[in-house]
Amino acid sequence: MEYSLAVQDDAVHVRVDGRVDEATWEAFGGALSDAVQQAGQSGLPTVVIDLSELDYMSSRGLRVLTVAKRQADEGAIAIVLASPNEVMSEILAISRYDKLFTITGSAGAKQ
Amino acid sequence: MLVRFWGTRGSLPVAPTAATIRRKLAQALVSAGSLQFYNIAEAELFVEKELSFAAGATYGGATSCVELETANGSYFICDMGSGLRAFGLDSLRRNAAGHSKTFNFFQSHLHWDHIMGFPFFAPAFDPTVTIRIHSGHPDAEEALRRQQEEISFPVPFNWLRADIQFVRLTPGETYEVDGVKVETILQNHSHDSYGYRFTDADGKTAIYSTDSEHKLENMADEAAFIDFFREADLVICDTMYSLADSVSMKEDWGHSSNLVAVDLCHSAEAKCLALFHHEPTYEDEDIQRMHEESIRYEELTREGPPLDVICSYDGLEVRI
Repeated sequence: MEYSLAVQDDAVHVRVDGRVDEATWEAFGGALSDAVQQAGQSGLPTVVIDLSELDYMSSRGLRVLTVAKRQADEGAIAIVLASPNEVMSEILAISRYDKLFTITGSAGAKQ
Repeated sequence: MLVRFWGTRGSLPVAPTAATIRRKLAQALVSAGSLQFYNIAEAELFVEKELSFAAGATYGGATSCVELETANGSYFICDMGSGLRAFGLDSLRRNAAGHSKTFNFFQSHLHWDHIMGFPFFAPAFDPTVTIRIHSGHPDAEEALRRQQEEISFPVPFNWLRADIQFVRLTPGETYEVDGVKVETILQNHSHDSYGYRFTDADGKTAIYSTDSEHKLENMADEAAFIDFFREADLVICDTMYSLADSVSMKEDWGHSSNLVAVDLCHSAEAKCLALFHHEPTYEDEDIQRMHEESIRYEELTREGPPLDVICSYDGLEVRI
């Protein structure tokens, strides 16, 4: 799993590549924490997690999303999941995380 | 080892209503179309082969009670939910045929739905029966006596005639109980709960891990559960909620999700996962959907050998 952070369209974008699982969830959690912190410090209202290059995410990764959302909620920052592939869309539906998070088709769209 | 599920529902016993049965029958008749059945066996074959499990059967509504039948002869039972009543009656039949009258219970914990079957456990009235209640809790006896006090039940605990013993187990220790190796692990649940790992003389291993919440902030601690589940032939696991429910509205209610169970079993390279402790508000169709989704999630996230994901129901038998 690899990731990068960038500021674009009034949001901090986290681009994640590979898969988030037993071996990589801690690094992914660190990236999300950094992104939320950066959004707070920069006064940006949104963190967009670009899932377009993500193969899939296990429950470890999903739960890290919840941890990040709690951190973001404290600063009134929204987290948006963008461009999940078919596998990830299915996992978001099976886990019912599609009820907890805003999911968009495009990471580029201004939130 | 043969595993029999006598009760698989979580929290509260449930039963199908007249409307539910009527709907299942109507659905079956519609599915049969113009087919004719000349005897019950033909009709049962149609139900088994052509209808989904939810349409042609039911997952049942008795609360937690699972029997492990091993070669050595004494009974092994996990939890005393309302499923224990049916097990008790069946054991009388087996006792009459010469089965050992020693019952080894292993308590996940002492909450209502896990002990409510004991006042209805008929062998407890037999003076030739030995009942050993193994528990990680120091207050197992108090819990069982209290539920048979006059305010709750007409028959006091003292009227039971069996030789009833209480055995305290400690996580990290390995015990041998009538030829079966038993280990236990502390789980996160209100007033604590304990999981069990049973290994029989043939080396077959079954895990019983219910009423166990795997907390968001303690994900690193799940390594202990992965070790505990390691290469098990069967893992019976609390899968009461969706992952989203378990981290939102139902957080701290003490239960886990189907996705976490699959992930733990994948990491442990377990062979089979039995979904267990079904949400009492779920209809059969809801449980079946949860089962199908769990199978799909296992496929989507599999990196090693396949994990067989089955869904427990009252009456299911699994040989490992």
